[in-house]
Order: sequence, then structure tokens, then C-alpha cells
Amino acid sequence: MLLEDFLTSAGRHPDKTAVICDGSQHSYARLRQQLLRTAAWFRQRIDPGDRVALLLDNSADYITSYYAVWAAGGVVVGLNTALKDEDILALLQHCDAAVVVVDGGKNKRRSALADADIAVLLTGSTQLSPGPGETSLAGLEAPPSTQALYQGDPEDLASIIYTSGTTGEPKGVMLSHDNLAQNVKAIQRYLEINGDDRVMCVLPFYYSYGNSVLHTHISCGACLVLENSLMYPHRVLKQMQELKVTGFYGVPSTYYLLLARTRLDSVDLSGLRYCAQAGGPMNGAKIEQWLACLPATAFVVMYGQTEASARLTWLPPARREDKPGSVGIAIDGMELCIMDARGHRLPPGNQGEVCVRGTSTMSGYWRDETATATVLRDGWLHTGDLGYLDEEDFLFLVGRSREMIKTGAHRVSPREIEETVAEVEGVVDVAVIGVDDDILGQVIKACVIADPGDATLEKAILRRCRQRLATYKIPKIIEFLGEFPRTASGKIQKHRLK
Amino acid sequence: MSTEQILRAYILENYLFSDDPADLNNDDSFLEQEILDSTGMMELIFFIEEHYAIAVDDEEMVPENLDSIDKLVRYIAGKKNAA
Repeated sequence: MLLEDFLTSAGRHPDKTAVICDGSQHSYARLRQQLLRTAAWFRQRIDPGDRVALLLDNSADYITSYYAVWAAGGVVVGLNTALKDEDILALLQHCDAAVVVVDGGKNKRRSALADADIAVLLTGSTQLSPGPGETSLAGLEAPPSTQALYQGDPEDLASIIYTSGTTGEPKGVMLSHDNLAQNVKAIQRYLEINGDDRVMCVLPFYYSYGNSVLHTHISCGACLVLENSLMYPHRVLKQMQELKVTGFYGVPSTYYLLLARTRLDSVDLSGLRYCAQAGGPMNGAKIEQWLACLPATAFVVMYGQTEASARLTWLPPARREDKPGSVGIAIDGMELCIMDARGHRLPPGNQGEVCVRGTSTMSGYWRDETATATVLRDGWLHTGDLGYLDEEDFLFLVGRSREMIKTGAHRVSPREIEETVAEVEGVVDVAVIGVDDDILGQVIKACVIADPGDATLEKAILRRCRQRLATYKIPKIIEFLGEFPRTASGKIQKHRLK
Repeated sequence: MSTEQILRAYILENYLFSDDPADLNNDDSFLEQEILDSTGMMELIFFIEEHYAIAVDDEEMVPENLDSIDKLVRYIAGKKNAA
């Protein structure tokens, strides 16, 4: 599976550069060595099937720790590093992690983990002083060996990826080695990814999209250039030019930000073979604007879901003009259909819920049979997205049946923000929605009914959100209203708040 | 108000939602301390371009110029002197 593919690549091209990050280059041989040392440590601490959480930004350490968990028979749980400590501790408890791998330089995070009953493996400098329960990766001296690699079954659980549920409760998507491998192979085929590729990845590995970028390249001997922030977008483009990058991945806001804050025509990206986009619908005019600057580059629109390992469809660039607005056709191994509310398949042209089945479909949500039964029914994964297929089986999305906000690369549950805002003294009622935004796709808006006369309430709400929520979940807009539009049964009509 | 005071007030008001000056040190990294994200940085650039009537060139959008109050103060002073 993917681990074997990585080791094969490393064996064939040991001196090839696998990762470029923070000015350092890491060869495949170096990654392999680190993987084996880490795996030897894991084997002494975990049993097959145990969960190991990765709480790391994109880095060579993330990749070697990831594959080392597999080499020891464990299950990888990549956690969102932007989350607050309380959320991280809740997720560690939820997946019952045996070990968490953390950047040793993050002292505040290490302090928060010290109270949790969990083994901590620290990445980073050799100068670290591990505390009680901590081990430094740099200090590991286990002899590298391929002899004791765990030999599992393709159907074994490989990874749990957390998504925000609509209720705000965490949902851990369970993916097997076969789920991930089949999805990776399909993506490699349609993007024609090969060992000569060198791609820029600005997407976090802990999300499904970034996770697929990691595997599709590392498993075939390509090179990943990692950049953890788009705060300085021109620096990203300069790196792409200097390193002659051949591929680029983004969500719509990635492209919008680069278009708004950089001059694409000021850099030479003639080596760029393709740009790929997923993570929600992208404005067609913006795609044209992007391609006007990069006419020789293929732009590949894609659609996916964590519950399907990552990718579900792709739009062949040659069909972009005659299928405007489509997210394309099913990838190899996956089948699409549109169903009505009673679970009946609908013919082409009819709108309904997008349903999928095939090799990349998850087995369910971690320890949540109710949520699993809601989306996995009669062998089909019900995506919650609304759309239709045309006569040639090209998929067109028209909306979402579930209430989630997509802001930048993140999906946010309104419920979680509503609960936080509702705790603030003076707030009578709150409804949180996503409103359209030119850069982020959507931004978070909190509509609040409040006791009259408190001029400082807006700041108090924002301060509470900053204390309790990850930065990307803080509302950009707060509007005070006298009342909410409601249905006859009293339910808030959120669509009328936009 | 000095440039430092204006910038501190802007960051405290819009990103830390705080009136307490102790919540922001002048050498705090906006990236490392997770004070700003990529859109926050864009907003900050728009703010200083408008407030100080300067243009932030692409090449100048680097952490050395923009990643803390101290760095911003130095950068803006340099831009004004060069004008």
C-alpha cells in the first residue's frame, strides 16, 4: 500500500529530494531513516490499531511520523494545529490516542498536554529538554531496519480525519489503507503525477485535501515544497519560481488571495504544469483571470469529501469550457448518483442529493453509529451536497443540504460559534451563518439579539470568541437585530438573515 | 499618536479585541502568536496603505517588514523617509 510505495521510492531514488521546507531539503533516504527510527520507538509503545495523533504543521517530521505510525501498525490522527488546547484535549480523548507527536518548540501546547495521560513525542531541535512523559525524536537511537514493519490488511483502519459535525460534535472519518491508496492512485492517474513533479503545498496535511497531496506525491517519488502560511503570498510565488514548481493546489480562497495581493505576471512560472482546485465552488471569472496570467497551465477543478478519502470528481481541463460550472466526472473506482429524499435514483438533469460509492468510501465515523447510519445508507455515502448530473455524467453542484460554513480552507459548524456567543452576558439569542466573501468564499456572521443598552457587547462577544475558538472561527461580522425571522414552528429562517 | 500607538491600537481593537495593552508586546510575532491569519495580514496592509498613504510593494510583503509592531514601525518610517 502507500507505505510500501514510499519505501520503494526511497529505495530507488535515495538521494532525490522529497521535501523542501523552511529552506531545508530532505532526501528520500533521510526520510526513510527517520521513519524507521520513529517506527521502532512507536512499536515499543503502541499495539496495532492504537491511535497516534499528529499535532504538527506541515513538515518532514509530519511525513516521517505519519508513515512511522503505519509501519508500527497504528492509526494516524492528524489534528488541526489551529485549534485551542481544550479542543485538542477533547479530540485526543475522543479517539483515545496512545501517543501524540508535537512540535517541541510549542511550549504552551506542551504544557497543556502535560496534564493529559498520554505519551508525547517531540519533534524539533536536539537541544530540547523533554519533561515527564515526553521523548525527543532527535534523541532516538533505534537501529533502522525494515525487518519488523507491521504487515497489516488493506482493510485495516489507517487514519481518522476529524471534520466538524453540523451539531458541533467531532466526527472522526475512518479510512482504511485501501481507501486511501485507491484514491491516491486515481488522482495520480488523472493529474499524471510522476516522480519528476515538484509541487507547492500550502494546504495543511491534517485536512483531507492536504493529506491527499502528501500521499499522491510522496508515494511516487515526487517532491513536496511546503509553505505553512499564505500570510506572505509573494514569497510563495517567488519560491515556486525559484524551485521551478510543476504543480500547485489550492482552495478558492488560495487563488483569490494570490490574485488580489500578488502580480502573477511578475514571476516566471513557465514550469507550472497544472493548478488544481477543490474545497468548494470557485468563481469562473477568477479561474479565467488566473489562466490569463498562466495560459500554458492546466487548471483542474475537483470535488471531494473527507468521507470519500479526499477526491470524488475531476473536470478534465479540456472540458472546462464546454462544461462551465461543472465539478466533472467521477474518478476511477467511484460511482456517482443523484437521489431524492426517499432514496430513489434520479435521471440526468434532476436535482437531488449527491451520493457516491466505491473504493474510497469511509467505513464510518469513529465510535458514532448514529452519525454513520445517517450518511451511509444502502451502500451509498450521502454527501449532503445538492446537485445534478447531465447526460454525460458530469456533476453540477447547486448547494448544500447541511448547514456548514466554508471559510477559506476550513469548514465550520455554526452551532459551536452560537454556543460560545450565547455564553456572553447580555446575549439573548444568536444565529450564526456564512455570508459570501470575495476572498474567503464565505465569512462568518453572527446575528445577535441582545439586552438593550450595552455598548460594549460586540467587543465582549469577539473577546470571548478569541478566548474559546480557533482564529478562523471568530465572526467577521456581528449584527444586532430586534428579532429573528422564524417559521410557524419557531425555527430561525437562517437564509433570510443573509 | 505615534505610529507605534496607532498600530498597537489597531491590532488590539481588531484582532485581540482587548483594551489591555499588556495583551500585545511590540516584538510579538503576528504569525507565531497566531494574532493574524492571511486575511488579517491583508487587512493590516490595506490599513497601513490607507492610513500612511504608502504602497506596500509585493517584494516588501515579508516577515522582516510586517510580522510585529516593532518591524512595522521601522518599515513605515523607512517608507516615509524614502518618499
